[in-house]
Amino acid sequence: MAQTTVKIYTPTTPIWCPGCGDFGVLASLKKALSDLQIKSKDTVIVGGIGCSGSIHNNLECYGIHSLHGRLLPTAVGVKLANPQLTVIAAGGDGDGYAIGAGHFLHTLKKNPSIIYIVMQNGTYGLTKGQPSPTAQVGYEGNVDLPFDAILTALSIPSTTFIARGFSANQAQLTDLMKKAISHSNSNEGMGFLEVLSPCVTYNDTYKEWREQVYDLSTEKDYNPHNRLLAFTRVSEITNQGKIPTGLVYSGRVKSLEENTLSKEKGPLALQDISLESNLPKYEQILNDFR
Amino acid sequence: MATTLEQQKPAEPMLKQDICIMIGGQGGDGTLTVVNLLGSCFRNIGLNVYDARNVLSRIRGGHADGVIRASTEQVLSTGDQVDVLVAFDEEAVQAAVNELAPDASIIFDSSKGQLSEKFGGMGLRVVNAPLGNMAASKLRRNIFKNTIAFAILGRLLGLEDDLLIEVLRSRYERRGKEALDANMQALSLGSDLAKQNNIRSIYKIPHSEKSNKILATGNEAVAYGFLVGGGRFFVGYPITPATDIMEWLAPRISKLGGVVKQAEDELAVINMGIGAAYAGARVMVATSGPGQSLMTEGVGHAGEAELPIVVVECQRVGPSTGEPTKNEQSDLNHVVYGSHGEFPRLVIAPGSAAECFQLTVDALNLAETYQLPVFLLLDQALCQNSESILPFNLKSIKVERGKLLSQSDLEKIQTYKRYQFSEDGISPRSVPSLEGGQSQVTGNEHNEYGLTSVDTTNRLRMMSKRMKKVELAKNELPRGNNFGRKDAKIGIIGFGSTLGPILESMEQLKSKNIGVRFQQIRTIFPLLVEDLIEFSDPLDKIFVVENNYQGQLAKMIRSALGRNERIESITKFDGTSFKPREITNAISTSIQGKLEMGV
Repeated sequence: MAQTTVKIYTPTTPIWCPGCGDFGVLASLKKALSDLQIKSKDTVIVGGIGCSGSIHNNLECYGIHSLHGRLLPTAVGVKLANPQLTVIAAGGDGDGYAIGAGHFLHTLKKNPSIIYIVMQNGTYGLTKGQPSPTAQVGYEGNVDLPFDAILTALSIPSTTFIARGFSANQAQLTDLMKKAISHSNSNEGMGFLEVLSPCVTYNDTYKEWREQVYDLSTEKDYNPHNRLLAFTRVSEITNQGKIPTGLVYSGRVKSLEENTLSKEKGPLALQDISLESNLPKYEQILNDFR
Repeated sequence: MATTLEQQKPAEPMLKQDICIMIGGQGGDGTLTVVNLLGSCFRNIGLNVYDARNVLSRIRGGHADGVIRASTEQVLSTGDQVDVLVAFDEEAVQAAVNELAPDASIIFDSSKGQLSEKFGGMGLRVVNAPLGNMAASKLRRNIFKNTIAFAILGRLLGLEDDLLIEVLRSRYERRGKEALDANMQALSLGSDLAKQNNIRSIYKIPHSEKSNKILATGNEAVAYGFLVGGGRFFVGYPITPATDIMEWLAPRISKLGGVVKQAEDELAVINMGIGAAYAGARVMVATSGPGQSLMTEGVGHAGEAELPIVVVECQRVGPSTGEPTKNEQSDLNHVVYGSHGEFPRLVIAPGSAAECFQLTVDALNLAETYQLPVFLLLDQALCQNSESILPFNLKSIKVERGKLLSQSDLEKIQTYKRYQFSEDGISPRSVPSLEGGQSQVTGNEHNEYGLTSVDTTNRLRMMSKRMKKVELAKNELPRGNNFGRKDAKIGIIGFGSTLGPILESMEQLKSKNIGVRFQQIRTIFPLLVEDLIEFSDPLDKIFVVENNYQGQLAKMIRSALGRNERIESITKFDGTSFKPREITNAISTSIQGKLEMGV
C-alpha cells in the first residue's frame, strides 16, 4: 500500500478466463513482493502484449505497458535510468520468443538486473488460439518443434539466473519468484523465470503438464551452478518427454549496470540537470571544439 | 620528378578572400586528413571554414573526396567552384572536372604517370608530383603521400612553413612520437620537392588574428546540445550519417554521470529510450531513414503514452539502403505523417551547426514540457559538414521540465492521475520511486488513471487532450528566419542544409538585379502558417528549394497557403547538395521564361 494519503488508481480485476494459469503467476508475484517487503513506489512492472501482458494493471505499483515484443528493451531502459528500482518485465511466449525474440537473446546477453517472467502456454490466446513458439507439434496445425527458452538461455554465456515454474505449483513458483527478484535486486543480473501457465480456453495443457513436470530440486546431484552439467541434464530430462522445473542455473557474470553506470552519480533519471550545477563540466567539454 | 607549367603561372600571387580546395583519391588515401589539416591552418590565420566530404559506404577504396572552403566571410556551403585540386589519381580529376574553376590548379600524384593530356587544354595549372612513390620509397608507407601533398599545397597557397609545422604537430602529437616524426619527415619531403621544382605561391590568403571561433559539424552540435540540455541517456544503433552523434557522446556523457547504450536494433533503441524517459531521464535517440522505419511504431507509442523523447533523424538518400553517405531531404513525409493512428508530435529542422545546438536544447524542453516525441530533422550535409562558428552560448540555456512532479509536489495532491484532464491537455507526470505517484502508462487507449478504456466519451476526450498539445506548443516552436528585402516580389523557402547555398544564391541574384526574400523554415510540423502567410502574402512567386524528388515541403506549403499557382519547386535528388549557382539559374530561368511570356 502507498504510504501517503494520495489516492491512486485501483488495480483492475484480471481480464483472464476462469482457471487461467496467469492467476497463479499474479498470486505468486504479489506474495513474493510482499514477502520481500519491496515498496510499491520502487516497483515497476513492464507488461507485454497479450492476455498475460495486462498483469501490470492488477497490482498497485508503477506500471508501463510496452509495445508487442518490446517489453525487454523498455525494462532495460527503466533499469539503466534508475537501477534502484525493482523492474519486472512480464509477458507471454509469443511476445518474448517470437516477435521479441531478438531482444530476448540480446537482453540475456546484456544481463541487466531485471526480472523477466514469461507466461508460456503454447498459444496466442488473445487472438483466439494460433500456435505460439512453444506450441506442441500438432496444435492448430503446428509442425515446428517447440522453442526451448531454458536451453537457449543456458547456451548464452552471460546468463546468471534461469528457472522454470508451473502456475499450478504455487509454493515452488513463489519461491522461484523470490529468488529471481532477490538475484536482480542484488544487481547480479537478469532473473529469467519461465512459467508454464496454461490457457484453459485454447490450449488446456494442465493435465499433460501435471504429468510432465519434473522438479530439479528433487534430484540431489543436480548442480544449478554448473552450466554444462545443467545443460546436459535439462536436455536429457526434456528428451524423456518431461519438463524440468525449479532453479535451472545461477551464476555470476557482471551485470549491465555494473558495466555501464557511473558509481558516484546515482540514478541518472534523478540527477540535477540544471545548467548551473553542470556548467564547469560543460565548459570543459566545449574545449573539444577548439 | 615534378614539373610545373611555369608559363601558365601569373607573376604575382592572386589575392583570394574566398578559396575552395578539394582533395580527391581512393577511400583510405587520407584525403579527409588533408582537409582537416588545412582547416586548422585557415582557422589559425583567422579565416572561416566550411568543409564537406564525399565518401562511399565502404571502409577502403572507391573514389572519395573532401572539400574545404576558407573565407573572410561566414560561409555555409562549399560554393560553386573548386580553385585547387589535389588528386591522388586521375579518377579524382575526372570526378572534379565540372566543378573546377577555369583557372584552377591541380596537384596531381604522377606516381603512375603524368596527368592525361586531355585535361591539359582546359586552362588548368597542373603540378605533376610523384607523391605516392616518394612516400613509399622514403618513408616506406604510401599513406604519407597526403602529408607530402599538404606541404606542396601549403607552398602553392603561400602558407608559412611554421604554420604547417604547428598544425601537423598539434594533430599528431597525441598519437605518439612515431606518427609525429614520420609526418614531420613527410612534410619536409614535400617542401623540398616544392623548392626543388620551383613551385611558388600562386595564391595569397589574407591573414588576421586567430578568432575564438570553434569548428563543429551538425552532429557534434546536436550531441553537445543534448548534454547541455540535460540529456543523460542516449541509445543508438550504428547508421550513417547519424553514428557520429553516438560516438561523440560516448566518451563525454560518462563525465556527467550519463549513459550511451548501443542496442541490438532500432526497435530496441526507441523502446529502451521510452523506458528511460518513463523513469525520468532526458532521452535522445538518433538514426537515419532506415532506422526511423523501424522506430515508427515506437514513436507513436511515445505519443499515445505521452512520454518525452527526442528523435534525431539524419536524412540520407533513400528509400531502402539508398546511398548511405549521400545527402537528401526526402524523409519529411516520413517524420510528419509516419505511423498508424494519430498522435501529437513536433518536427524541428535546424539549418546550421549553431542552430543544431540551440534547437536540440529546445527539442528536449519541448518534449518534456508537452510530453510528446519531438523529431529533430537533419540531413547528411548538415550532419557531417563542418562550420566555423562562434562558441555555443551556454548562458542562454534553460532546462525546462514542464509538469514533472517532485515528492513534495505529490504530497500536495489528493488524487494522482497520470493522464488527468487539464485545461492545457498536459497532465502532471510522476516517475517511479515517488510515493503517491504510482500509476499506469500505456499505449492502449486509457482513462485518466492509465487503465485501458474503450469508452467512447473517454476516447474523444483523451484524443483531443493529446492532440491539442500541438496547437498549444505553437507559441514556443522555433520560428522561421527571414532574409533579404522586404519589398521583394520573389520568395524562396527552404530548410536544413539548403540554408547556405540559398543565402549565396541570393547574393548572385542581387547582382543580376533580382531581389528576393527567403524564409528558412525551422518548424516543419506543425507548419507555422501565420508566419508563412505573413512572409508570402506580398510575393508573386515562391520557390521552394529542397533535396528530394517530389517536392515534399512544397506540397505541405501548398496545403497551407492560398494562391498556389505562385509556388514552384526547385528540387535536387542526385545525392549532392545544391550549389548556389544551381538555385540562381533555376530562379532566373523561371523568371526569364515568365518575362518572355509577358507575365
